[in-house]
Amino acid sequence: MAISFTLNGTAKSVDVSPDMPLLWVLRDTLNMTGTKFGCGMALCGACTVHINGEATRSCITPISSVAGKKVTTIEGLSADGSHPVQQAWMEEDVPQCGYCQSGQIMSAVALLSKKPNPTDSDIDDFMSGNICRCGTYQRIRKAIHRAASMQAGKAKSAA
Amino acid sequence: MPSTVTRRAFLGASAAAGASLVVPFYLPGKSRAPKNPASSFSPNAWLDISSDGSVRIWCGKSEIGQGVRTSLPMIVAEELCCDWRSVQVVEADLDAKYGEQLTGGSLSVRTSYDNLRKAGAAARETLISAAAVEWNVVHSECHAANGSVTHTATARSLPYAQLILSAARLEPPANPALKKPEEFRLIGKPTLRTDTLQKVNGSALFGMDVRVPGMWIASVERCPVYGGTVRKFNAEKVRALPGVRAVIEVKPLHLTHQFGETSGPGSRNYSCAGVAVLANSTWAAIEARKSLEVEWDEGNWAQESTRSLREKMAQLTSLPAATIRSDGDFEKAHATAAKTIAAVYELPFLAHATMEPMNCTAHFHDGECELWAPTQVPGAAAESVRTALGIPREKIKLHITFIGGGFGRRLIQDYAVEAALLSRDAGAPVQVVWTREDDIRHDFYRPAAHHVFRAGFDARGNLIAWSHRACSPSIETFYNGTGISPQASAQVDTLDFPAPFIPNFRLEFAVAESGMPLGYWRSVDSSGNQFALSGFFDEAAHAAGRDPVEFLLATLGPARKIDLGQNRGTLDVMRRRRVIELAAEKSGWGKPLPGGAARGIGIGFGWGSFVAQVVEVSCNPSRGSIRVHRVVCAIDCGLAINPLGVEAQMQSAVNFGLAQALKSEITVSNGRVNQSNFHDYEVLRLSDAPAAIDVHIVPSTEAPGGCGEPGVPPTAPAVGNAIFAATGKRIRRLPIRAADLRSP
Repeated sequence: MAISFTLNGTAKSVDVSPDMPLLWVLRDTLNMTGTKFGCGMALCGACTVHINGEATRSCITPISSVAGKKVTTIEGLSADGSHPVQQAWMEEDVPQCGYCQSGQIMSAVALLSKKPNPTDSDIDDFMSGNICRCGTYQRIRKAIHRAASMQAGKAKSAA
Repeated sequence: MPSTVTRRAFLGASAAAGASLVVPFYLPGKSRAPKNPASSFSPNAWLDISSDGSVRIWCGKSEIGQGVRTSLPMIVAEELCCDWRSVQVVEADLDAKYGEQLTGGSLSVRTSYDNLRKAGAAARETLISAAAVEWNVVHSECHAANGSVTHTATARSLPYAQLILSAARLEPPANPALKKPEEFRLIGKPTLRTDTLQKVNGSALFGMDVRVPGMWIASVERCPVYGGTVRKFNAEKVRALPGVRAVIEVKPLHLTHQFGETSGPGSRNYSCAGVAVLANSTWAAIEARKSLEVEWDEGNWAQESTRSLREKMAQLTSLPAATIRSDGDFEKAHATAAKTIAAVYELPFLAHATMEPMNCTAHFHDGECELWAPTQVPGAAAESVRTALGIPREKIKLHITFIGGGFGRRLIQDYAVEAALLSRDAGAPVQVVWTREDDIRHDFYRPAAHHVFRAGFDARGNLIAWSHRACSPSIETFYNGTGISPQASAQVDTLDFPAPFIPNFRLEFAVAESGMPLGYWRSVDSSGNQFALSGFFDEAAHAAGRDPVEFLLATLGPARKIDLGQNRGTLDVMRRRRVIELAAEKSGWGKPLPGGAARGIGIGFGWGSFVAQVVEVSCNPSRGSIRVHRVVCAIDCGLAINPLGVEAQMQSAVNFGLAQALKSEITVSNGRVNQSNFHDYEVLRLSDAPAAIDVHIVPSTEAPGGCGEPGVPPTAPAVGNAIFAATGKRIRRLPIRAADLRSP
């Protein structure tokens, strides 16, 4: 039975087993490989996407539960890196191997939507579900602060 | 492919690694024949310039996060004198024209530096020659900068884009003049990575992101005991499950040609025996595999456990072992010492746990095999696949993808062999995808180890006697066989500090037999040895009533170069002292810290670099909690090509070292690895990471040193030494447990 949802603003319909995790629908059915497989148990955060704006581990999210919802993946932020969090990541030179960074960025975007000006402690609390084995944590913290001030600046100039 | 890297050079943690590596110059001629000769200038394998002025530079090493797709092209671009913004970096496929493509041993910059400078300089000099001909002036009156050649006297200038046609007709010089270091405009400047946009918009293609039309996904159930084999399995039932295309047995194969290993008799480097479920999606393969029932012959090691190995190592270290180094007369000096101390240090097995689990994609057809491999050694992958398939080497084509972490795991080629065999047997392109559980349970592990130390002091508190008896399973015999000498089997380095500085010194090593698969874990044996060495040295300082930094410097003695003899180079005491002094100065060593926090120092010298780290820690012994607040890292890596990259590698290494200190442990029961995923094989998380890792790079014009590994060894002992300073509890085993803070 086809399951319909919105992916990065576009309507999608997939005909797969209802218990297939969203991660594998994205990667294998829709060929959207920016979302990564790291652990399959929601332990590492590499597969983080947004479902109706909430950071969610797609590796344990059955596709049936996504029906009718809005999914945003790393590809949905921007292709040219113009999203403030992507920009901050580039300016702070965050990624090393880069494999975890889609998930890191999706978590950071979700954090900033809840707390536009997070403290280090907020960052530690929210981001500790995302493992980076290269150990880019110090630059991740800096990039989140940078993105926060970029977004604050943008909000100010818009107001 | 001839390896230019010797085994010991690869391990590289030798204290003498300040000595330069000898690597033959490798700069092929016009091997990149342009498809359209009028459209680009391709003087050698490493670069070409297009008619629009854009420059492509090929990266001949695997990007595993360490930044080679930035640092190596910077070297070419520096000598090419092009506009760095015009450079596009291309990952080289496996090809002999790039020389040795092995990525490991913190060697990439060290072994590429001279060649890549020459490649860029040869192109630059040819472009200058083309301009000189154009203007009918002598070459020496022209110079190149920022993508143009200028004739200074007449103020004429031509961009490279307008010179490529005439330059393409000239023979590039074999020995071009190189820039003087003071002329560098790019090398030494903090430079952003070239691959970040792809890594923040999801477009970077890692091994697991490869999509070949008609590709099947394979998930492999491997024998839980390394070295076991398949007896029988329920193929029929699994083949009938949704999405399943085939169920295929995977035979274990000897993985030859890693990087100079001899694979002699008794070597045990095999891929695992297993049964593969091939399906039309990763999910279908993983799900169907749960219904697989395999009866194994578990082989000879199904009784091994962490406890049995620990008992074995304790027993072996209670007896004399093979002497690896001996100076003076340890026993005599120890017997007459004014004071003596002794201690035992223990290290567990460790898995690499790269974020991207092992995987590889292969397409075997018509007697040829094409591979998309996230590997650190593409040459070894091709060799292992050649052996496995029995096809000529020239029938193998191999592309290197982006790679989600290496840390030494991807020096081994089991995943490539699996993918190639399965593609052949399935008659389709196959991507073999390891789950995290596969990755943790079927790694090639950093060996567990046991270290027994004894030391003696004279009446003034100077070390006069030092004995170190180490024992572990041997990576060397795992790959080279049991016929090698005790010295070659040893997982210790004869030059590790304080080796040459103690008059009566003895280093022994005993190989503990084990069935576990072993491998190279970021910084290899130094990762554990340095925990023991820097830890026991700290014990010695406290036993002598001396400050640990003062004691380190006093034991090293004055700045000087020590001739090691027998073509072993020299040992530079000045560079060792300087990083210790720098880390001490920048950390405020000796000044009190608030709230019961304390500092500890760890050192590590090797891979052509010198590192000292001071860690600030506070502990709550009753709660068993440890907080690492700040790490100050001083590194002398010779000329730092990209200081921003060096900083990233040091921060990475410190966090990797903190995972070793605080989190990670592989244990074994009944020959099986007990851990399976990140809930029981823990690594460092952001909330555990120090608020700051301050990196201080010693300015230097010495030959570039390695940066991937040397930052790892000092961290764990620095943490242990800081805990002692804070609580008086001495940490002698990793990972540090809550109970270790409370025990007397």
